[in-house]
Amino acid sequence: MPTHNDHHLTALYRDSFPDFARLVHRRGGSLEEAKDCFHDALLIYLEKESAGTLHLHSSPKGYLLGIARVCWLRTRAGGPVLPLPENFSETPDPEDEDGQEREETLLRSLQKTGKKCLDLLKAFYYDHSSLQDIAEKFGFNGRRSATVQKHKCLEKVRAEIKTELCAAN
Amino acid sequence: MRSELNEIRLIDQYLLRQLPAAEAHAFEARLLCNGPLAERVEAQRTAHRLVRLYARKEERRRFDAIFRRLQAEPAFAHQLKTIFA
Repeated sequence: MPTHNDHHLTALYRDSFPDFARLVHRRGGSLEEAKDCFHDALLIYLEKESAGTLHLHSSPKGYLLGIARVCWLRTRAGGPVLPLPENFSETPDPEDEDGQEREETLLRSLQKTGKKCLDLLKAFYYDHSSLQDIAEKFGFNGRRSATVQKHKCLEKVRAEIKTELCAAN
Repeated sequence: MRSELNEIRLIDQYLLRQLPAAEAHAFEARLLCNGPLAERVEAQRTAHRLVRLYARKEERRRFDAIFRRLQAEPAFAHQLKTIFA
């Protein structure tokens, strides 16, 4: 994420996680459970910040601990896990297990054949990096070249999706 | 840019809600009578979802790496050890 390099994130983690771990432990939870919820909360925090929809009424730590606590309570109550935000394109995750498994399989296949494309698309859609930054990071000859490569990558991913779906049906 | 790439850009603008309302409605009308185009739109929507799935996995790996680095700091490791003792 562009606004939170590892240094800042590490500081936030160092400052916040022990407080949350203490809460989870008092309620009978394990370190692993605390980590899972805390990482969900970090994802939500960073995605909202990146999308410009983070409205802090307290400190980043207070906000993070608030989300992590909700996640923990939901998990413990056996309720639905905390929904992650739909951060671009409003494409909700598939609700059925078959759909989720199919997409996990597709992703594994894409990671084998086109990790660079996935990294480029992540930089554009998820990290909201500028085309100029993407060009520099991936060694393209300027914004226009980065734009064409981004579209070609999307075309490649889309083609693989169609092939996989045809093979599955 | 060749026409396939132009179409990909148009579909992206539609999925990202960047088209003006009139153009979005016109595009939706095209989808109703153009099955192959509708399929390409759905594949592109899935592509967006896969990018998000990939990005979140990468983020979780980054968080795990940060946790491991912090565990190597004596003060942090001691705090957690005390909590879960």
